[in-house]
Amino acid sequence: MQSSGDILEVDGIGHNFGGLSVLRSVTFAVADKGIVGLIGPNGSGKTTLFNVISGFLTPQKGVVMYRGAVLGSQSIQERSNRGMVRTFQTPKVFENLTVLENIMVGACKNTRTTILQDMGHTPRSNREMRTILHDAEQTLEKFELTALRDTLASVLSAGQRRILEIARAVVGKPSLLLLDEPSSGLNDTEIRNLRRWIVQLREEGLSVLLVSHDMGLMTVSDRVHVLYFGEIITSGSMDEVKQNPRVREVYLGV
Amino acid sequence: MAGRIAPYVVLLIVWTVLPFILPRNITDLLVFAGIYAIAGFGVSLLLGHCGIVNLAQAVFYGVGAYATAYLTTELGYPSIAGVLVGAVISVVIALFIGWPILRLTSYFLALATLALSIIGNALFYEWDWLTQGTLGIGGIPKLNIGSFALDTPMRFYYLAWTVAILCLVLARNLTNSRTGLMLRAMRDAPDAAVSLGVNLQWLRTRVFMLSALFGSIAGSLFAHYSSFVSVQSFNVDKSFSFLLIAVLGGARAPWGAIIGALFITILPEYLSRLGDFHQILFGVALICIVVFLPTGLAGGLEMLWDRLLRLGPKPKLKQAAHAE
Amino acid sequence: MTSTLIIQAILAGVTNGLTYALVGIGVAAIFKGTRVINVMQGEFSVAGAIITVILLNQIHLPYWLAIACGALSGAAIGALIDILFVRYMMAHGANQQSFILLTIGIAITMSASVLFFVGRSGYMLPAFGGDNVFIVFNAVIRTHAVWLIGIALGITLGLRLFYHHTTIGLAMMATSIDADGAATTGINVNRMRTLTFALGGLLGAIAGILATPLISVDYTLGVTLTLKGFAAAILGGLTNPLGAAVGGVTLGLVEALSIVSISSGYKDVISYGILIAIMIFMPNGMLGRVGRRGG
Repeated sequence: MQSSGDILEVDGIGHNFGGLSVLRSVTFAVADKGIVGLIGPNGSGKTTLFNVISGFLTPQKGVVMYRGAVLGSQSIQERSNRGMVRTFQTPKVFENLTVLENIMVGACKNTRTTILQDMGHTPRSNREMRTILHDAEQTLEKFELTALRDTLASVLSAGQRRILEIARAVVGKPSLLLLDEPSSGLNDTEIRNLRRWIVQLREEGLSVLLVSHDMGLMTVSDRVHVLYFGEIITSGSMDEVKQNPRVREVYLGV
Repeated sequence: MAGRIAPYVVLLIVWTVLPFILPRNITDLLVFAGIYAIAGFGVSLLLGHCGIVNLAQAVFYGVGAYATAYLTTELGYPSIAGVLVGAVISVVIALFIGWPILRLTSYFLALATLALSIIGNALFYEWDWLTQGTLGIGGIPKLNIGSFALDTPMRFYYLAWTVAILCLVLARNLTNSRTGLMLRAMRDAPDAAVSLGVNLQWLRTRVFMLSALFGSIAGSLFAHYSSFVSVQSFNVDKSFSFLLIAVLGGARAPWGAIIGALFITILPEYLSRLGDFHQILFGVALICIVVFLPTGLAGGLEMLWDRLLRLGPKPKLKQAAHAE
Repeated sequence: MTSTLIIQAILAGVTNGLTYALVGIGVAAIFKGTRVINVMQGEFSVAGAIITVILLNQIHLPYWLAIACGALSGAAIGALIDILFVRYMMAHGANQQSFILLTIGIAITMSASVLFFVGRSGYMLPAFGGDNVFIVFNAVIRTHAVWLIGIALGITLGLRLFYHHTTIGLAMMATSIDADGAATTGINVNRMRTLTFALGGLLGAIAGILATPLISVDYTLGVTLTLKGFAAAILGGLTNPLGAAVGGVTLGLVEALSIVSISSGYKDVISYGILIAIMIFMPNGMLGRVGRRGG
């Protein structure tokens, strides 16, 4: 499992909440520029795993390694600044900001200004702002959100929020994208678009860890791990996993 | 283009002319309004952009005032020294106290700042070697621009409001910048903000320091204007007043603090017949604003303005305008 | 520092501490029932005390009746606050910041009302047992203080029984933990919340009434009581009346002992410094759960 081509390595992660073992010794890796999928019934610990990897939760056991370095006490924002960005099961958009502004926030991490510079609207501050605006506009187009540019995020539909969250995550040019149930709330067209975008992002150098109920979307993965009650019970390509009798047992006919 | 500048030009003319047509005591109140607005900008930024209720502004106001008072009277330093020393001390205090308490959840934080206000006031009392306690420090020299002494309300009016407008411009620049974007993100969805690399703690702390800076500058101006400072001016009620300014005026946009400051300085003058009634009114106004008009008087005025110009409220475009 | 002085300080500490505890229990009660932290709890105490003073001195009601009315007026004010403001705000999805500002606004209004109606002077109520005292190891404690301690402890235990063994008490807790779930079991959420605020108001008023014979009450006392009561409540974990009692006594003792050892001018600095320290280092109190900001 310890190959230098892996952008993310998760080793022996275990965590329980008040006596309930949500994760027990989860181990897998995401190869550089790879797309890895995680499937499993509700309650198998997928979101908890995401919380551990992204830094929202410190695991009681096990280690997360990003680009070969152990992420021990790295805070959420540090991990993000190193290129690891996640989305949430229910999209958390900035309600009082427009679609464009939401994406702009995602672009802030690649620019630097101090409060004093910003107060004074110094040339540097203005330049950074123009960069942010430019990057955001480009991403806006890429995800076909141009029509919604100046719409307040609070009035968006569930599907639009989902896409906005992903666009916002991607504008900062991350290296690893953690997508938590990106397809829920999306219609078929949107899911097809999403699949296309994920493939395109990988071509641009992004690695993806994907959790989804949608088996169609899952086919975009190079490799799929099945998480069942805190453990990985099998791994392989989407086809292999679908044939696995244990998986069928667990899913009862999905 | 001319249409957009016209209202500001009118406002400028009115502002310039006011001290000549108003009675001296009203001009005096307007000076205080300007000074309080400066302190109010700080509280407003924290409230409207960070979602933080700051009840400690009176402490920094006091630090600025006493730094000016002590340095100019006891040590005979020029006034700029008082302003600078007060500012530095305030910012440092804000950094060291802010860092631990800004982690607290909103209720705890509000109460912590309230406790801070009381502690600050108690120390102003206790350290009378510095502050002269209730006796106060008098004889603070007037500010001079060259040989021109700012010793009347009218003259100080122009200085106070010039500084206030300058602070407003700075605050507004901040909200329309990269930092402003991150602040609003932090206010709307902190989990999402942090997952995008925003360092919430450091951001909050820096804005707290900025708020302290504004408070300190206001305090120094106050000391030079009234020539006399004593502990009674720096108590919890003052902190409540600064909060009132931010809430009544509306914290969404920094200029709301100007409306709030005007409200709490001018109104008591007209209610003075009723004794201490104005304080009750402020409390009621606060409740009404919070429940019915969260965007404050400034927000209400904006809605009125839009309706007058028959443009109707356009939240989407307004928001986009803020981004550029 | 003689041992008499220390014992005196301890007695004072316990007395004050239980006053803070009563205020803190009121904070805990409201939080337990509504998840709203009442930043104006101390004003209930001031209001209850002042109303009792007025009923006693101006309207000349018998003392016990004045006290009962004063305490009930606290409950009434609490209920009114819920019906007029909290219900509306909750229905319109107000956030925590709005509730903080609301309770601050109410605090300002109430303390300003007291100032307007009765002025700046302090008022006192007659003490239970008059000027009689008990002697404890050469230290002195007023009879009233003993009454206060007894009543406070009684209330603490009574509340514990109330929350765990009566239908209403359990319903109150259920409503705060999960309002929707509570509603589906037939609990009238709005009524529960009003009752919770009424209970908080009642407890606050009782605290004020009991304390006023020992300290004078004026329009500025609200903030002090709120902060100290809040400290007591946090130490107790914010949802635990017994914990608030222990927390209050702890705070009272530390305060009293520091007064005798350090100059009294720093008394506030120490008390409120402790409050801040508690919030930073022990936000969950000695037991119980309270949220803390992450990120």
